[in-house]
This record gives sequence, structure tokens and C-alpha cells, in this order.
Amino acid sequence: MPERPPPEQTIRVQYYALLREQAGRSDETLTTAARDPRELYAELRARYPFTLPPEMLRVAVNAEFGEWSQPLKSGDAVVFIPPVAGG
Amino acid sequence: MSPFRFSTSPLDTAALQRDVRDESCGGFASFEGWVRNHNEGHAVTRLEYEAFAELAEKEGARIVEEARTKYGVTRAACVHRVGSLALGDVAVWVGVSAAHRDEAFRACRFIIDEVKHRVPIWKKEHYVNGDSGWVNCERCALPAAHTHEHAHEHHPVTPAPAPDYSRQIALREVGAEGQARLRAASVLVVGAGGLGVPVLQYLAGAGVGRLGIVDADRLEPSNLHRQTWYALNECGQEKSSLAAARVHALNPEVRVEAHALRLDAHNAERLCAGHDLILDCSDNFATKFLLNDLALRTGKPVLFASVYQYEGQLQLVRGDDATACLRCVWPEATRDGLVGNCAEAGVLGPVPGVFGSLQALETLKLLLGLPGLNPDEMLIFDLITLSTQRLRARRQPECAAHRRAARTAPLPAPEELELQFGSLTDATSAGFVFVDVRDTREREADPLPAESLHLPMSKLLTDAATLDLEGRYLLICATGKRSAAAAGLLRSQGFSGSHSLRGGLKSLKASA
Repeated sequence: MPERPPPEQTIRVQYYALLREQAGRSDETLTTAARDPRELYAELRARYPFTLPPEMLRVAVNAEFGEWSQPLKSGDAVVFIPPVAGG
Repeated sequence: MSPFRFSTSPLDTAALQRDVRDESCGGFASFEGWVRNHNEGHAVTRLEYEAFAELAEKEGARIVEEARTKYGVTRAACVHRVGSLALGDVAVWVGVSAAHRDEAFRACRFIIDEVKHRVPIWKKEHYVNGDSGWVNCERCALPAAHTHEHAHEHHPVTPAPAPDYSRQIALREVGAEGQARLRAASVLVVGAGGLGVPVLQYLAGAGVGRLGIVDADRLEPSNLHRQTWYALNECGQEKSSLAAARVHALNPEVRVEAHALRLDAHNAERLCAGHDLILDCSDNFATKFLLNDLALRTGKPVLFASVYQYEGQLQLVRGDDATACLRCVWPEATRDGLVGNCAEAGVLGPVPGVFGSLQALETLKLLLGLPGLNPDEMLIFDLITLSTQRLRARRQPECAAHRRAARTAPLPAPEELELQFGSLTDATSAGFVFVDVRDTREREADPLPAESLHLPMSKLLTDAATLDLEGRYLLICATGKRSAAAAGLLRSQGFSGSHSLRGGLKSLKASA
């Protein structure tokens, strides 16, 4: 039996610091087939000129720092955030 | 009886006077402060005094003792009322007996001025219209702190006002006790730039007792759009001294220390010693991670703030083993220059102003024991959309910084740190991996007769991350001196299996 494509989900994404600059926006709500934050970020890298690799970022899902491999579900709020040091 | 005390009942001034009488004295002077029927145009009906007794009694006794020594008086005492007082009641009484009238008058004046200025006492006035308000007693004092440092007596024509914390004392959560806590606190501010300026302004204004300022930079014109405490004609001067002078001008009661240097691995512990709380107002990752490691090693909390263009992050690291640290959130090596700082990425002036103000706010709340930012979270505030988020951050079991800190034990005795071997083969059999700490030239001139890692002294701390925390290492140099120092340094970083070859290569050659 052929594998079914993953279902499309509605995810709210927020960008911080360099990512906000490179995306040209602070947040957006999008429909995606990405199963986890890693796939979602890879998908977004195709759309925006993101220069930071995922190792240099943290992802937070529903206001909690999480893993790149944790499953996403429809309605999740995902934050991509790099460290900043300005003062 | 203590020369300074508080009384909850009305004062019997005749009895107090009898207590300071002395037959050897020819003069007696006393001062009585009374509850009057008005203050700043308001009719007052009664008032209440409140004091943080423990601190106030000590300071009061010190003042009376100072007066006795300074003016050579025989006996002196001061009693202050606390609780509810009616109009006309005696609020404070000072009595001095001395050989002559001059010393008696002067000592009496000195005691009342200093008590008003230095002893944490607060009064709540009840007005005819039913309102009430807390008033700092210090507002009526002369600048006693300055006059008593001069060798001669003089009376300023226009006395400078004393600090007045009444507007924050009025808060139920602050009160006299909270103010005494702030006064007893000591905070180190690392960085006197965009974040450090508002931090120092508010902490000095609030009467935090001691402030340390660390900043190696000199003021530049490009700083001024966000560091608006400084002036254009001060460019080129050290920011730490400029900030210290501003703190002193704002509140002369604050003890302030300026350190015109960059915080590094060698001075961090010394600079932070003696402070209750460290504020990271720096602009680089190297300083931030250094402070993070220090927090974990010493258990001293560090409140971090960092800004970028129109946003910023705030995190409290408690330095214990149960809560998250900066490395729990950012486990990968984070290098400066990769994600941009104020110079490269730009920043709007009020952005560090907002975050520095938040840091000052959280600091005062921490010192006062009020709820605020939790240690297991990061506050992020996007000042474009004005949205805030508190992201939950957990203590990561595999956090390298926590592991290092947990393994840091007091330095072992030399006999445990330094080991003697007849040959390197014996050491290999004992399970040791060799680490050569000599420089490249020495190493090439006199190679080790066994396989070894090369970690020269100059790169020891930066390259130590390549070693295994659990590993059994034998550090080797020519005579055993440098390797012993290096082993001690590695142990202080948590590499508990570090040892030194006693006597170095020389000892091996001797035994061969």
C-alpha cells in the first residue's frame, strides 16, 4: 500500500531577530505538511533567505522550548529564535 | 542601656535626663523633636513612626558613639518613638553631658542630624482631610554626611536635600523594611551601555546600597542615541567612571565602585565576590557565557538581558542544579559576530532602554522578594508588534555547563594532583592519556616518547572543551610546574580526572 502523504496542518509561526529580518515579517499563519519543526524550518528556508542553520537556533512550540523532532499538530504556535547579545 | 533605642511608649524626658547626668560634667544639652500640626501645607492630626529596628538600632548606636569620640563628651543618649503619636508628643530625644557647653551643643546637634540622615525611620502622617502619606524623615536633615567629614564646622547656606524614598516606601510591598533591604543589597552591573544606563539610574534612585560597575569601553558619539545619561563632550572618557560619577550625583548614599576593565576568566570571580546579584548588561556572548558558568560555579544569580534591533530577551539564571541556565537554552557554541550586535545590526535607542528598565525592575523585585520572572523561563519582547512571550525553558540533563559546575570540587592536595611514575609505560598501564602542555617549539625540540594530546598552556582554557570530563589525563611539561598549574585549572573547570606528572620529563630522564 503506498504511504499516504502527511495531512496538511495550520501552524502559526513567529520569527525573531535575524530571522524576522530575513523573513521580512514577525509572524504568519501557514498551512504545511511538515511533521516536525525541522521539516517546517527546511520548508521555510526554501521560501526565505535564512542564513542560520537549525543548530544555531532554538524552536519553541506552544510557549515551551522544544525539540526539532517533536511532532507538530494543527493549531500549534511555533517560534524560531536565535540567541542575541546586544546591549 | 544602649545609647540609642526605640520606645513604643511616651518619653519621660526627666528620667532620660537623669540617666545622662554625670558629676564631672559642667554642661548638659538636649534636643526634643515634637509632632507638629502641619507638613508642606497639610494640616496633620497624628502620625505613626516605623523603623527597621535591627538595622536602625545598630546605626543609631554607632552615631552616638561617633559623637562621644568626636567631641569628647562624657555621656550621650538618643531615644526615638515608634508607633502612633499625637500632636505635641516628643518623637525623638537627644541628651548630652560634657565638661563644657560647647561640646555638649555640638554633639547634640551632630547626633540629631546624623540620626535623621542615616537611621532608617519612616513616618506616616494623617491629615485633617482623612488622607495619609509616608514621609522619609531624612528629608528634613542637613547634608550631615558631608559636614562630618570636614575638619572644621561650617553651616551651608543652602543645604542639599537628602535622598527621599517616600514614593516607594508608600508601597505596601516596600515599606521601611523593604527600603532597608535595598540599602543592604549589593549589585554588580557588567556593562554601562544601553542596558547598564537605565539599570544604574533606577537602582541608584531606589537606594540600593552598593553598586559595582564593570566596563572597559570609552564613550563614543555613536553610543549616545541609546546611552542618554552621558554627554557629547565626555566622549573619550571611561564609561565606568562616568557612570560612577552619575550614580554619585543622583544618590550620594550609594557606595559605587568603577572597574575600567573587561570581565574575563581570570578576574570574574574577584569582581563578583561580595555582590548579591550580578546583572549582565554586556553586548557579547563571551561575557554572557562566562557569567553563566560563574553563576553555576558560585550559586550567585545572574539576570541576563540582550537586545537586537527592536526586540530582546530576559533570563534569570539562579545558578543552582535544578533550574535552567543559558547553556540549557543555547547548548551549541555561540560565537560573537554570527548573529549581529548593536554595531552591525543597528538598534533603536529605547529598545535597550526598555530592557534595562525591565532588568532594574526585576532586580528590585528580587531584592524585595516579590514575584517576577521565573528561573525556568525566558521573556521575549518584540517591540515592533509589542507582543511578549514567556517561553518555558527546562534544565537540560545533558547541559555541559551544569555538568562542569557539578564536578567542580575544592582543589585537591598536591599529593593527589601530582603523580610520580618511573616511566610513561607505567602511566599508560594505569589508564592515563597524556596531555603535553608545552609550547610547540619545546615539543618539537624534545618530543614525548609516547602518543599524546597537545594542549599548550596558552590555549588550555579555550581548548579544554575537546577533553572528556570523565577522562583520566596526565599533564606533562618539562619540570612539572606548569603541568601542576594546568591540572589545577582543569579541575576547577570540572575535569576531575586531571593529574600532573611530578617533576615532569626531567624526572623520567633521571629515573631512566
